Amino acid sequence: MSGLALGVVIAGLTLVTLVSRSLFLALGDRVPLPARVQRGLRYAPGCALAALIVPQLVLADQTLQLTLANPRLDAGLIAVLVMRISRNMLAAMVSGMAAFLLLRALL
Amino acid sequence: MPILDSHRFTALFGQPAALGRARSSAFVAGVRAFAPAVIATGAWALVTGVATVRMGLHPVQALAMSAFVYAGSAQLASLPLIAAGAPVWLILLTASIVNLRFVIFSAGLYPYFRHLSLSRRLLLGYLTSDFGFLLASLRWGGRPHDSADRTERTWFFLGLSAASWLAWQSMSVLGILLADRVPTAWGMEFVGVLALITLVVPALTDAPAVVGVLVASVVAVLANGLPLKLSVLAAVLAGVAAAIATELARERAGARA
Repeated sequence: MSGLALGVVIAGLTLVTLVSRSLFLALGDRVPLPARVQRGLRYAPGCALAALIVPQLVLADQTLQLTLANPRLDAGLIAVLVMRISRNMLAAMVSGMAAFLLLRALL
Repeated sequence: MPILDSHRFTALFGQPAALGRARSSAFVAGVRAFAPAVIATGAWALVTGVATVRMGLHPVQALAMSAFVYAGSAQLASLPLIAAGAPVWLILLTASIVNLRFVIFSAGLYPYFRHLSLSRRLLLGYLTSDFGFLLASLRWGGRPHDSADRTERTWFFLGLSAASWLAWQSMSVLGILLADRVPTAWGMEFVGVLALITLVVPALTDAPAVVGVLVASVVAVLANGLPLKLSVLAAVLAGVAAAIATELARERAGARA
C-alpha cells in the first residue's frame, strides 16, 4: 500500500473512531432509536468481542483445536471463570496469563 | 499526570475558580479508578504497536495511526487488510463493524453529558475507551442522572479517559519503537485476548445475550476462512439475530404461561 493510500486509510480510520464513539453523543435526542434497533444493538458488542476472541482460542494454524490440550482454550476458560466469579479484571487477566504460560510449558 | 493535568483541561473546558477544586478532585478520582485496567490497556497497546510495525508499516506511519486512530481492536482488525492491499472502503467497513460497540456506548453516555456543548460531547466520545466506559458504567450504573453532580461526572470521565489515553499511547509508542526486540515467544498478544475476555463476560447478563455470544462464536470460527475479516460481520449479524430470536421466543413462552 502506498504512503498516500495509507494516509487516506489512517484519516478514514480516525473518522471511524470519532463517528462511532460520538454518534449518539452528537445526535442526542434528535434521533430516538426505534425499539427494535435498540434491542439489536444491545447484543452487538458482546457478539463482536466474541468474534474477535473465540477464533484466537480454538484455532491454531487454521485448524480447530477444541481439546483441553490447547493451552489457549484452557487459559481463556479459566479467565472467563475467574472474571465471572470475582468480577475483577486484574485477577482474570493474571490467572489467565499464568495458566497460559504454565500450560504451554507443560502440554 | 504531567501531560494531561487539570490545567491542560482547564484550558480546554474553562473553569470558574470556585469550581476548580471539585473538578480536579473528580478528575483525580477518575484517574485512580482506571488503575485496575492499566495493565490490560498497556499490554494491549504494546501488542498493537508491535503488530503495526510487523505488518509492514513504517514506524512514523505506525505512530500516526496510534495517535489519531486510538482504537486497538479496529487497528488490529484493519492491519491484515492493509497488508493484503484491500480496498479502502472494505478496511473502513471492517473497522466500523469492530467499532460498533462504541456506538452503543455513546448512546449509553448521552444522558450523562447532554448538558455539554456539541464539541465537548465529540471530544468525550472520541476519548471513550472500552475500559473507560465499563468503569464509568460500574460507578454510575442504576443511579438517576442527577443534574447536581453532572460536573463531577464529566471530570471523573475525563480522568478515566486521560489515564486510558496515556496508558495506551505510552505503551503503543514503546511497542512501535521496540517492535523488533519484543520476543513473540512471550505470548504478549494473548494478554490482548484476555483483556477482551474481561470485557465480554460482564455482557453475559441474560439468556438472549449468552445465546447471541455463543452463536457469534461458532459463526466466527466456521467463517474464519472468509477473506478480509468478513467473519466478524457474519458473526455479529448471526449473533444479534439469534439473541433477538431467543428474546422473542421467551416472550411468547411467557405469554402462553
